[in-house]
Amino acid sequence: MEYLIHILIISGIYIILTLSLNLIVGFTGLAALGHIAFACVGAYTSSLLALNLGVSPWVGLLIGAILASIIGAIVSFPSLRLKGDYLAIATFGLGVIVYSIAKNWVGLTRGPMGLPGIPAFKIFGYEINNVWAYLVLVFIFVIITFIVIRNITKSPFGRILTAVREDEIAAEAMGKNINKYKLIVFVVGAFFAGIAGSLYAHYISFIDPSSFTIMESITVLLMVVFGGMASLKGSLVGGSLLVILPELLRFLGMPSSVAAPLRQMIYGLLLVILMIWRPQGLLGKYRFK
Amino acid sequence: MIHQLILNGLIAGSIYSIIAIGFTVIYRTIKFFHFAHGVVYAAGAYLAYTFFILLKINPFISFILSIVLAAFLGMAIDRFVYSPLRKHKTSNLVFLLASFGVFIFLQNLLQLIFGAQILTLRTGPVKEGHHLLGAIITDTQILIIVSSLVLFFICWLFSQRTKFGKAIRAVSDDPIGARVVGINSEKIIMIAFAIGSALAGAAGILISLETNIEPTMGLNAILKGIIASMIGGIGSIPGALLGGLFLGLAENLGIWQIQAGWKDAIAFVILILFLLLRPSGIMGVKTEKEKI
Repeated sequence: MEYLIHILIISGIYIILTLSLNLIVGFTGLAALGHIAFACVGAYTSSLLALNLGVSPWVGLLIGAILASIIGAIVSFPSLRLKGDYLAIATFGLGVIVYSIAKNWVGLTRGPMGLPGIPAFKIFGYEINNVWAYLVLVFIFVIITFIVIRNITKSPFGRILTAVREDEIAAEAMGKNINKYKLIVFVVGAFFAGIAGSLYAHYISFIDPSSFTIMESITVLLMVVFGGMASLKGSLVGGSLLVILPELLRFLGMPSSVAAPLRQMIYGLLLVILMIWRPQGLLGKYRFK
Repeated sequence: MIHQLILNGLIAGSIYSIIAIGFTVIYRTIKFFHFAHGVVYAAGAYLAYTFFILLKINPFISFILSIVLAAFLGMAIDRFVYSPLRKHKTSNLVFLLASFGVFIFLQNLLQLIFGAQILTLRTGPVKEGHHLLGAIITDTQILIIVSSLVLFFICWLFSQRTKFGKAIRAVSDDPIGARVVGINSEKIIMIAFAIGSALAGAAGILISLETNIEPTMGLNAILKGIIASMIGGIGSIPGALLGGLFLGLAENLGIWQIQAGWKDAIAFVILILFLLLRPSGIMGVKTEKEKI
């Protein structure tokens, strides 16, 4: 039972990542491939603050998210000049650079050895180390993320994002400063990804660079596309189904040396099948043009 | 020290060049990033391992066989994944994501079959190298550099002088115009995939004579190949050669000052600088401008 709750917590964290990436990729149409880098920044910031300076994880979560949004603002610069697959490769590169920093700046991040013993969240002096309590915490953050992103996308602001996605030049001709909107979208998306990273770090209590590889970014993107581009409900479906379904392989009694590559193979195959038959995803409203 | 770093840069750069040339040959006809090119490279190495080490076939025959099978793998990817997508006339991003899917699928298939451990094509101990201008170079490394130049010349001559090369360029410049004059673009794309994938397979074999084989080797290779072709000027075969050598040298001279772990970061910093400052690359043609 604890294991089941654990899977739900992990899928909650992926849902936050998927929702925030959907804002960038689905609603605004910017092909960003380095999303896990923001989670990496959030996770490392709040863990290092808690371990080295004894900062409360709650404050660390906020600082981590803010730092992730600053990185998001930096990442948005290529998006002002590059489009389509060129932007995809550039953001991919920024993901690799952040991963390299986590792996190679041993003095700060301890590199591949990782950071053990990250303290848990506390409420009124009680540590949240029970999986049920943590599930509630992650659930609350999923709801907050969902509401914030829904409000953004349903507002006049969200309609401008759709305009940027559908026709940048027309949006610009309507007097909208599209660069500003792209910047804000990246900042907001990175903020929530940073929160997801921090939630992960304080839950698992150990992080190392291998949790934040570029393949993870592609997995999150697959969740967005699978659930549906520009569909928030789709992101809930994508983030949960694609975490829970591969776990079934484990219940079939496969050793992890078989289950791990098999899970990735399913992801790969799913991505190919989706692209050929349903590029907008299950509940999606938009496909890459 | 500096001599050795330059030499190491040229060796790494030669491998990047071969991957980038193969990538470019394919890119010219399809105009999207064929990311799964990296896994064809890894498959080339594993095929050579299967024939040469596991089945103990003569090295020459096993390498030729691996290269031919790598070419067929590339053609199969085009036939079963990209060709149906072309019928839908979708965007480059859809192709790129499908390509990621193929990459992830095949990479993990290799891991499932061969395991995650590191393998090698070397049978004996490493022979001592030759001394050359204060640097040491082994026979394998000479083979790598010479092969990259030979493969470049073959590809370049093929592209400039033969009928197929001209047809590839025609499809690349104007697909509709090419169809009007009776060029079967599907067939030309198939040939481009065969040539490009054979090059990837060859690069995979060469690198596994020099270092190791592991399932994840394709990711780094395709990233470096894409970066090399982009900084060389995407779509240009001489550009791919120069971009590869430039990238290899830049990475290896970079680690003169900082640790080796930063190589990938250096490569992407170079790419992002090129994309922002000179998006058409070293040998770039201006026609790419409309896209960026």
